[in-house]
Amino acid sequence: MIWGLGFFRAMGVTMRNMFRPAITVQYPDERLVIPERARWALVHKFDESGRPKCTACMICERECPDDIIHLTVSGDAASGKHIDEYRYELGACMMCGLCVAACPFDAIEMSHEYELATPDPHALVRILLHDVDAASGKRAKADAPATQAALAADAAPDAARGESDHA
Amino acid sequence: MSPLLVIVLRTLAGLGLLLLNGVVLIYMLRKVLGHLHLRLGPTRVGPWGIFQTSMDVVKLLTKEDFRPTASDKWLFRIAPLLIFVPSFMAYLAIGFSPTWHFANLDTGVLFVFAVLSFVPIGIMMAGWASNSKWSLIGGMRAAGQQIAYEIPLLLSVLGVAMLAGSLDPKVIVESQAGLWLGFLPKWFIVPQFLGFWLFAISAQAETNQTPFDMSEAESELVTGFANEYSGMRFGFMFLAEFSNMFVAAAVGTTLFFGGWLLPGLEHNALALALGPIIFMVKVYLGIFCMMWVRGTLPRIRIDQMLSFAWKALIPLSLLWVVVFAVILKAVGA
Amino acid sequence: MTDDRLRATPDEPIVAEGRRVPLTSPKGLRRVPRGVDELATEHLIVNMGPQHPSTHGVLHILLELDGEVVMAAEASLGYLHRGIEKLAESRRHHQVGTLLDRADYVSGIHTELAYAMAIERLMEIEVPEKAHWLRTLMGEINRITSHVLFVGTFGMDTGSMPTFLYTMREREALVDILEAVTGSRMMFNYVRPGGVTGDLPAGIIAKLETFLADVDMYLDEYDVLLTDNEIFGPRTKGVGVIDGTTAVAFGMTGAPLRATGVAWDIRKAHPYAAYAELDFDVPLGSQGDCFDRFVVKTAEIRESLKMIRQLIAGVPEGPHMAKVPKVLRPPAGEVYTAVESPRGELGIHLVSDGSDLPYRMRLRSPAYYNLAVIDEALAGGLIADAVVTLGSLDIILGEIDR
Repeated sequence: MIWGLGFFRAMGVTMRNMFRPAITVQYPDERLVIPERARWALVHKFDESGRPKCTACMICERECPDDIIHLTVSGDAASGKHIDEYRYELGACMMCGLCVAACPFDAIEMSHEYELATPDPHALVRILLHDVDAASGKRAKADAPATQAALAADAAPDAARGESDHA
Repeated sequence: MSPLLVIVLRTLAGLGLLLLNGVVLIYMLRKVLGHLHLRLGPTRVGPWGIFQTSMDVVKLLTKEDFRPTASDKWLFRIAPLLIFVPSFMAYLAIGFSPTWHFANLDTGVLFVFAVLSFVPIGIMMAGWASNSKWSLIGGMRAAGQQIAYEIPLLLSVLGVAMLAGSLDPKVIVESQAGLWLGFLPKWFIVPQFLGFWLFAISAQAETNQTPFDMSEAESELVTGFANEYSGMRFGFMFLAEFSNMFVAAAVGTTLFFGGWLLPGLEHNALALALGPIIFMVKVYLGIFCMMWVRGTLPRIRIDQMLSFAWKALIPLSLLWVVVFAVILKAVGA
Repeated sequence: MTDDRLRATPDEPIVAEGRRVPLTSPKGLRRVPRGVDELATEHLIVNMGPQHPSTHGVLHILLELDGEVVMAAEASLGYLHRGIEKLAESRRHHQVGTLLDRADYVSGIHTELAYAMAIERLMEIEVPEKAHWLRTLMGEINRITSHVLFVGTFGMDTGSMPTFLYTMREREALVDILEAVTGSRMMFNYVRPGGVTGDLPAGIIAKLETFLADVDMYLDEYDVLLTDNEIFGPRTKGVGVIDGTTAVAFGMTGAPLRATGVAWDIRKAHPYAAYAELDFDVPLGSQGDCFDRFVVKTAEIRESLKMIRQLIAGVPEGPHMAKVPKVLRPPAGEVYTAVESPRGELGIHLVSDGSDLPYRMRLRSPAYYNLAVIDEALAGGLIADAVVTLGSLDIILGEIDR
């Protein structure tokens, strides 16, 4: 090839790209579609009557690699648990989704809320549940038959791990 | 009006044009590079982001005037001026139309190159005074580069000077009026095709544009000589870079593309009125091409760049001057 | 490197800015030139990094310069050290993946895969065919995202702006696919011991096919912009030459090793996942210079595309996760597993004491070994060559410092 031709071919490439549409997304005006599985801030699921599906089983607290979920629970399993506080340190969360995968009651999920920047550092610690009665494991069973397999798996830790692990 | 007042007003007009050009060119660079690179460039401040650079100027003006403790106090302050003033002086010799010019110089083209050769001194001074190693290397590179590329730049102009018989921008442009063979504009790029390429390459190097942006070389020297500068001191250097770009494109237009002339639009009142507009359009097309190159090519290495200048460009331009002189003599006889 | 001036006695410490730096350097960077120097000019010791546009992160290199010529170089690491290997000892086995994503943050799938393979080998878990297929597919997609980022940043190192921004187009398309499949754009947490967390969602194959339809044209454009360019060639050919013997001696792997002509690719040498069934070539260089490293990487992108085309031609059926106990307790013992990450041989040495925590986890990060050679490779070149050589090694500081 003739020396110097490469420059003009390269210039041609950039000129061709000048007429292609921009690949950037003009963020506040346009937004990307967040795929179904995208993992962002943790939220609770609620049943039809607005009560949380959380049974305060503490598995998510134990499962979190970064220890950022803190549950304060009063009462016991027999008389019904009461969640004083479900504290979630959003600022330290790395959105790995292990808590959701471990939840046997399908009570939490990773939402699609991704605009998490805030000037207020206190907003990075979220109280997701405050002073509510925990759902009973039985009710969760009745409400969500799909989680029954997961429940059974939880009862026997070494048993098979089903598909429902990652909701 | 007293002649003194005229000089002052013309100087101020030149300064105004320079500042306006600077703001427009920085905006243009961002937009051109943006679109070349599948982006949009500035879009937020004003419609299509046109006020982006004006706001940047405000930001630069209000920034703290910071000087590193270990830097050389006076040289650090003088250097931006030494970079800025020559590029401003170069403006004064540019002719925009037969009647529009800041100063009517018989040797205008020579004057432009003479004052622009001050710039490396300022860059070297900035690099030295910053007392930073990366800046120093940037300053040294600038000196080596500008000395090397000034020679082919001047030699490439010689051919045009031979054709026009003058270094006065007005005479050079006027001698490009008319058509060759009835369709080809009588611009000097036709007989001086090789001279134009020598000029274009050297001008790209003189104005510190990629692929020759040695003294800045962001990926190597961070920002080279301008490393320690901030605020309006940096603003002056930035502005000088863009006004040099304008000067290079304006000189190129004058020498090779018929300045304010368009075929069929010569020597009448309309041509006189449209002259500056035609000139500016040509200059901005030239600047667009410089930006296009800047947005496309990788950077040459400093040693390859210097050997390219000394071993290829300078011999070639010397040869071209001799060959062209012989041709001109033969054809003229 | 045969220059006499480069030799120094070990008792001469680095002198930077007139004061002694508490660093004993085996190479002994120094301002006073070695041997007889007619001009007796001082050498310049500059810090390249930790904040420098071309060190690809927080790498710090001390350069001893004679004018623009690099006389000696010394890398200093650790600015991004997070103690991942130690942290892993307090994480249960299925939690370690979240740490490993952050080791090599550009190609997380491969690091996760190496760890998952270690657990699977210890616990003797049979991974379903579908999981192998998904791991291979995601791994190759991840490899392309990493390689196009290399092409872009390497262009940037040579001063070419467009490739960096153009390669983002390919990278975005693939990162979107990775996000749709794994749930995250870079910190995937997708490959788990026993399989992967999810099957492909609907429409992904179609998305991949749209990507595959255009990508070859774009790759040809990068060839025009860089590989065939008259400036890029002289910038990279014969620069930062590392011969095969040196590369092997330093434990280099991946494209920098293959650029020297040594055919070593874990995917061929010790096939894992579904690589044994795939038909692909291992691109080799011959000179071991920056240009060859770049060309090998670009050729690998095309090989990966070939693999993806083969993979999506035959989608296996079946579960994507083996039957794995909820709490992973590998039997006591140790295992070393390696995968071919975009940067080379990425290995996990795992020691288990039978509990649910790793007793010791060691990451063999390829970029660390590839970086080790720069003390040799930078000396004798110019600053511009140093930048290009460093860029051509494709280092990721997250993985080097861990």
